[in-house]
Amino acid sequence: MSIFLKMSVNVTFLRPFTRFLVPFTIHTERRNLYSRILQRYMSSKIPTLSYPNKESTSPPDQLELDGWKTTMKSSVQEDVSTVSSSKDEDPLAATRELIEMWRLLGREVPEHITEEELKTIMECASKSSKKKYLKYLYVREKMKKAKQIKKEMKAAAREEVKKAKQLETTEEDKQRNFLFLRLWERNMNIAMGWKGIQAMQFGQPLVFDMAYDNYMKRQELHNTVSQLLESEGWNRRNVDPFHIYFCNLKVDGVYYRELAKRYGEKWDKLLITTTEKSHVDLFPKDSIIYLTADSPNVMTTFKHDKIYVVGSFVDKNMQPGTSLANAKRLKLATECLPLDKYLQWDIGNKNLTLDQMMRILLCLKNNGSWEEALTFVPRRKHTGFLEISQHSQEFLHRLKIAKTFPKGPLNVHGLNEKI
Amino acid sequence: MSLCLSGIRSLPKFWKSNPCLGLSPGHSSYLSLRVYCGIRNQQRWFSLKTMCPQDTKSRNLLITKARYLRKDEGSNKQVSSDFPHLFAAGAAKKRSQMNPQSKDHALPPVRNAIQVPTKPLNSEEWDKLKEEFKGKTSFENWISSQMARCHSSVDVAKSLLAWVAAKNNGIVGYDLLVRYLYLCVFHKQTSEVIDVYEIMKARYKSLESGGYSLLIRGLSHSDRWRESLLLLEDIKKVITPSKKNYNDCIQGALLHQDVNTAWHLYQELLGHDLIPLLETLKAFFDFGKDIKDDHYSNKLLDILLYLRNNQLYPGESFAHSIKTWFESVPGKQWKGQFTTIQKSGQCLGCGRTIEPIHLSPEEYEFLKGKIMKDVIDGGDQYKKTTPQELKRFENFVKSSPPFDIVIDGLNVAKMFPKARESKVLLDVVSQLAKQNLRLLVLGRKHMLRQRSRWRKDEMEKVQKQASCFFADDISKDDPFLLYATLHSGNHCKFITKDLMRDHKACLPDAKTQRLFFKWQQGHQLAIMNRFLGSKVTFQHIFSYDTVVQTTGDSWHIPYDEDLVERYSYEVPTKWLCLHRKT
Repeated sequence: MSIFLKMSVNVTFLRPFTRFLVPFTIHTERRNLYSRILQRYMSSKIPTLSYPNKESTSPPDQLELDGWKTTMKSSVQEDVSTVSSSKDEDPLAATRELIEMWRLLGREVPEHITEEELKTIMECASKSSKKKYLKYLYVREKMKKAKQIKKEMKAAAREEVKKAKQLETTEEDKQRNFLFLRLWERNMNIAMGWKGIQAMQFGQPLVFDMAYDNYMKRQELHNTVSQLLESEGWNRRNVDPFHIYFCNLKVDGVYYRELAKRYGEKWDKLLITTTEKSHVDLFPKDSIIYLTADSPNVMTTFKHDKIYVVGSFVDKNMQPGTSLANAKRLKLATECLPLDKYLQWDIGNKNLTLDQMMRILLCLKNNGSWEEALTFVPRRKHTGFLEISQHSQEFLHRLKIAKTFPKGPLNVHGLNEKI
Repeated sequence: MSLCLSGIRSLPKFWKSNPCLGLSPGHSSYLSLRVYCGIRNQQRWFSLKTMCPQDTKSRNLLITKARYLRKDEGSNKQVSSDFPHLFAAGAAKKRSQMNPQSKDHALPPVRNAIQVPTKPLNSEEWDKLKEEFKGKTSFENWISSQMARCHSSVDVAKSLLAWVAAKNNGIVGYDLLVRYLYLCVFHKQTSEVIDVYEIMKARYKSLESGGYSLLIRGLSHSDRWRESLLLLEDIKKVITPSKKNYNDCIQGALLHQDVNTAWHLYQELLGHDLIPLLETLKAFFDFGKDIKDDHYSNKLLDILLYLRNNQLYPGESFAHSIKTWFESVPGKQWKGQFTTIQKSGQCLGCGRTIEPIHLSPEEYEFLKGKIMKDVIDGGDQYKKTTPQELKRFENFVKSSPPFDIVIDGLNVAKMFPKARESKVLLDVVSQLAKQNLRLLVLGRKHMLRQRSRWRKDEMEKVQKQASCFFADDISKDDPFLLYATLHSGNHCKFITKDLMRDHKACLPDAKTQRLFFKWQQGHQLAIMNRFLGSKVTFQHIFSYDTVVQTTGDSWHIPYDEDLVERYSYEVPTKWLCLHRKT
């Protein structure tokens, strides 16, 4: 519904520009004029056409080649006069025109653009940031359009099915016996609600540390909130959910506003704990484990008596070690997932998204093995699981005894030191 | 299986240390590679897979390297003998040639077999060509961009436009028009450019930056060059014009003898914080030959100072332009020659000494403060260290007398992959200690723990001969190295092979970064040894600063040779020496 509303706003706003936007829709009389002019040129060209192409340098040929210029010039003289009457020196309008011309050139810019987006573009500091934002708008517009088309096709298909059903007789249906009414979704929601309440009472805490809003830009923050929503959803559907805490969540901060906006009415009925307090105030310090990919310590097992903290932080801006610094500041234990131990890592960051973290932790919690848990690591990032056979384990053991093999994570760290 | 194991036993040692291989493919690594190759020949090497999980990538690298080394052993040795200076132009290129990534860039498959016509076609022929075309985009689009790519003649493009216009009621799309304009500009067909300009003016109220740029470039050579300035104004309404736009306008103005406009545009360009193209600056010098005017000469000298302040280096042809201009100044009798500078910092051409690389006291203090504030502290002390450690370090530095040499322990120790780390470090430290230098070794705490590669007795000997500071294992040691060196004073040097680019990037602005680079050139010692056991030799330190400089009656201008690729952290080696005949 909201999409429709927005679209209509766009259309009304664009009206003054439509004349400019579609300069190629020409009145029929004018079209006749063009074709008449052109015919003149084309007819003058006919004799040359019959000649073989060798003599392409002949003067009549030259004249024919320039023909389109005259039509181009003459045809639009009137068009311009109408447009230029509404000419104004507004930078917003100028930007709009620039974008429109870019679109004509086949650049990746949106077709429709709202006043607000236009202002955002004007605020962009550099040329490349403008282009980036325009591309984002372009892709968004394309996806929206594709979705809209899909929706219409689905609606049409549904309509057809309905018609076909109406033709059939419905008596058959009435005779059948059912045990349940078709209320699956509601029942499921209620069941998940019960489980959620149980988790609130007896569940293992899992903390999302929301202290990173200053480190993120608008887009990153947006992504983080999406990931948080998804993690909460995964948790809700699990057999044995965590009791989720959103710590350091400032009321009326950016996070809070975005979350409340995305959840809507559901925000107040959510079966999680949100607090402005820090996790170190809520739990004993020695039972907290901060999960961060920069940690030198590798997580070996999932401990059911510990409180795991996940930083809700999407870092596209190259700030390595921010969460490790936070953990160091509060003197917390840190751990990272044993990705290198189990996976043949190929490309990509060792930082995983929040929902992937959540699924891995849930799987570990439900007595899943590491192999099973790490299936949630995106396939593109690794080439496969490492199998540690009996033979090689023996071999490793022997190496350890011979003391040629580095012990512990710290040694590994030292080895990675670059020269 | 036992055979395989005995072959492998020596392996862990070297895959552990292979990060170093990337930088120093010396003799020692070559030996270990032979071992590796032996295993490979036995076809058992994949049984290692389970053993060194995280190292597939480096292993692959090893394989390629082993191949490379076997292929041309001789040439490799030859390359290593004349190893260029760390900061000299072209050094990085040479280093990269030593460990090549054998990646053949295969040509993209040809999608369309259609040949771009070489002669103007008539409409039937175009129709026929269109039928042959199969592709995602429209035919007109595709063929016009192909024409732009292979620079077809203007007539061919014109015949395409005529055909499109005939089909389309005399209308040609904007994109086709722009591509046509590109061809006209490329072939310098000024009259066509003006025609297209008229059409665009008639048809569109405003254009986009690409179209404007082409028009500016096309018009600046014509008699209507003043209109290109109006187009520049149009661009300015929405976005900042590019330096190329300014370049074209300035060249146009100079071509038409309008010097004031050119200088005005140049000022505007600098005002937008754009770095002018060297071409633009060259144009001013080229034009200056015909002008005998003090005002103009002063402005050219200002340009040279701009080069100095921004550490820009002219290209070879620009250097020639500068030389010709200086020699054309009447009455002053400038004489220019292309030379190099001796290691001692004396110009081979005139014998004058080039500016020393030392920072002035104010600059030095400024840099010291910035390193402390931005590189070590960085707004969050916990990121690179902890406040406790910082305090400990500050007290340590303050309590100890100034050092002569600060050593990056881990970097030095890992220089030779085959050798034991603590042994290498001890070797270097004792050799330097013999020269009565006051040493500081920076490291991490894990170096002190007794292990096979870090022997306690050797570390104790190190600690006897040098002061040591061991940071936490998860702290960064490089920032401490930088600060300790800066704190000790101007005479103090530091030893590491690290280029410190990540720390340079932490500095807030380009000016501080340049200051840091200058200081680094003057104070960094890189160990050049390729074999263990020989006497430690260092790369010589530049005693002079590679920058445009003057003493009033002489100018020394470093320049880039056309055929040498220079990386951003390298400096040119060739100079233009200008002095007045006496």
